[in-house]
Amino acid sequence: MYRSTGFVSFVLRRLTGIALVLYLIAHIWVIGSVNGGPELFNSRLAAVQTPIFKLAEVALLAAVVYHAFDGIRLLIVHYFDVTEYRKSLFYAAFVVSVILTIAGGLPILLFAFQG
Amino acid sequence: MRVFQFQRISAIALLVFLTIHMTVVHYPPFHIDFSRIIDRMGQPLWKAIDIAFLFFVLLHAISGSYAVLIDLGGVARMKRTLAASAILLAIVGFVYGTLTILAFQPPV
Repeated sequence: MYRSTGFVSFVLRRLTGIALVLYLIAHIWVIGSVNGGPELFNSRLAAVQTPIFKLAEVALLAAVVYHAFDGIRLLIVHYFDVTEYRKSLFYAAFVVSVILTIAGGLPILLFAFQG
Repeated sequence: MRVFQFQRISAIALLVFLTIHMTVVHYPPFHIDFSRIIDRMGQPLWKAIDIAFLFFVLLHAISGSYAVLIDLGGVARMKRTLAASAILLAIVGFVYGTLTILAFQPPV
């Protein structure tokens, strides 16, 4: 059971979902600082644009992309009669997520470490 | 409407809004500060788009968190309290988020 794609996708969906909710709280804290004026906003934003946060941003991108494509997979399974392709769709969502994370993460890392 | 239906509807909306958000705000990567953001956020249409985005993000995040907590079993008997807290949190989040979006005003 614990090795089935259904269980793995269930766990990954929950883990990425919880991670994204925690990120949302941090995001509200950063963006909400605009209520204190542009100076406070700029200083708080600068604090989260260091290379270490850029690395975390790539992890965030991976979580967002996987969560989104797993969601698309669920919508396909739910609205179309394709339950026999459930496993293949999981692998497809995973592979597309990895490719998009690399494609989207490289520019972030290049910008962070080269400027 | 059941919680999973909220999840489905908000998920479809988020696929659109998140794609717009990532394309417009984060790619290609650049240093972000107030002056850069205000170019876009000074326009009422972008404010409206971001308020709609906020609505669907909160709907998805809070109904998702509610579903995860209910699945824990032990908290299932507090379903009503959890649901009321989730609705209250969504309203507070939406009001605070909307006020924040509206606070992006070009300096006079």
